[in-house]
Amino acid sequence: MSAGFLLIHAKPGRTGALILSWVIFALGIVAYFAISHARHRENPEDRVMPSIAQMASGIFDAALKPAEDDDAQVAAGNIAQRFFASMLWKDTKATSRRFLYSMLLLIPAVLLGLHMGLFPYIGVFFLRFVLFFDKIVALSLLPILFIAFGIDELSKVMLIVIGVAPTVILDTFNLTRSVPPEQVVKAFTLGARDFDVAYRVVLKQIMPRVLNSIRLNLKAVMLFLFAGEMIASTDGLAYRIALLRRHMGMDVIIPYVLWVALLLFLVDWGMRVVNRTLHPWFHE
Amino acid sequence: MPLITIDHVSMSYGTPPRTVLDRVDLEIEEGEFVCVLGQTGCGKSTLLRLVLGSEHPVHGRILIDGREHRQPDRSRGYVPQKYSLFPDKTVLDNITFGPEVSEFRLWNRWTPRFHRRRKELREEALDYLQRIGLTEADGDKYPDQLSGGMQQRVAIAQALMTRPRILLMDEAFSALDPGTRREMQRLIRSLWEASSTTILFVTHNTHEALRLGTRVIVLAKDSPSQGSRVALNLRVPDPCHEAEMPALVNRLESISQGAARAETVAVI
Repeated sequence: MSAGFLLIHAKPGRTGALILSWVIFALGIVAYFAISHARHRENPEDRVMPSIAQMASGIFDAALKPAEDDDAQVAAGNIAQRFFASMLWKDTKATSRRFLYSMLLLIPAVLLGLHMGLFPYIGVFFLRFVLFFDKIVALSLLPILFIAFGIDELSKVMLIVIGVAPTVILDTFNLTRSVPPEQVVKAFTLGARDFDVAYRVVLKQIMPRVLNSIRLNLKAVMLFLFAGEMIASTDGLAYRIALLRRHMGMDVIIPYVLWVALLLFLVDWGMRVVNRTLHPWFHE
Repeated sequence: MPLITIDHVSMSYGTPPRTVLDRVDLEIEEGEFVCVLGQTGCGKSTLLRLVLGSEHPVHGRILIDGREHRQPDRSRGYVPQKYSLFPDKTVLDNITFGPEVSEFRLWNRWTPRFHRRRKELREEALDYLQRIGLTEADGDKYPDQLSGGMQQRVAIAQALMTRPRILLMDEAFSALDPGTRREMQRLIRSLWEASSTTILFVTHNTHEALRLGTRVIVLAKDSPSQGSRVALNLRVPDPCHEAEMPALVNRLESISQGAARAETVAVI
């Protein structure tokens, strides 16, 4: 029998590729519920692998009821009202706010990398320090951050910025340096000044790659955000997961983990769409 | 006074220093079309970058209109072999970039005056597009949607749009196929004839140098360890007769390979 589909030159058809890409998901779901079913036959009170019904009830409670520690009083009302007063929405909002602040604070990191790559004196002033800072394990700074900034929002946002900014700065620096010198010289010969070269020529050219670099760092951003939330927070998705771990609340933890993955996937997809729309000339 | 004066210029790179150019002297008058010829690694492009101001000589000086320039500016247009267009801008935006960037600062781009001027510049750019043999539809394309020849046409239009006194072209047609190359040679020659721009054209193709230039400068080394010097400074008759070409090509190629020396200006 020929195993042509295993060859380098094999070309999966559209339908075949679509089916294949979902196989592992399907197998994972089937395997989970099969094992869960078996465990529940032995112990109907099993909380380690919740059944479909337990999970549905957990999702319903998280998405339509306020948290136990919340004093919101929206027991009745339509689904939208109940969702916006729910534990899931409140946690998502808190985590998203921190995530957004962190992303906004990465803008100066991009600009610093750009200037380091273009202006030699700024480059030599910052490069060694950023290279050194990049090697510091951000999580090891967590106690220092809590002492310095307290356990409020600032320390969590700073953790993310300290963890991700050096990578973004260095990525932007390298991308700036990779712009052919001919382009910079050309811009000067056309009458551009230093800041025109930086913002109208170089930044515009590297922007799609910078966005891709930030996309690749999204997981790191979430990792630091979750670390901060798990250790010192009163709301947020990671705070909830850490809290429910104490009660073995797997029926909510699993949907929460999947919800975080979905949100991250949507952010990544959104950035990809924005990148493609803003930079139609860019082909990877 | 010559427009460009290259005065005893030497250039070296690396540690220990490797001399690329050794005491080069040259004067170029306004309106000339000068081709710089030589073998790979002889320092042709280095000489062009020195005139451009993106690099500075180790010894000697380069004067443009009697003044030293330490940085590239809009008095000298530049068409490199590669990366000649901004990939993030359409053809029209590439052509209008020069006037736009020199007339409007970064923060003045949202004024009504900018939009009025932009409209005028686009009209002018469309006119340039026609002159270089492209259509209006090509104006909205991005550089990677154009062939190599079309890209170089746009690069020439982009450089000429700012009306530089000097146009520096570094192996601008080297990556093109022979047919496109001939077309481009005709185009640049006709654009030069219609303007007062002085062109310094670096090439390693002897035929191209003789077809285009009013003067051909040959750079060559006396020995591999030495820097290049001006081995020949040849005034080319206009037009260069096809019958004389083979003999001239042989002579120039032997000089550029260091087989012969002719330090004086030769007028044919």
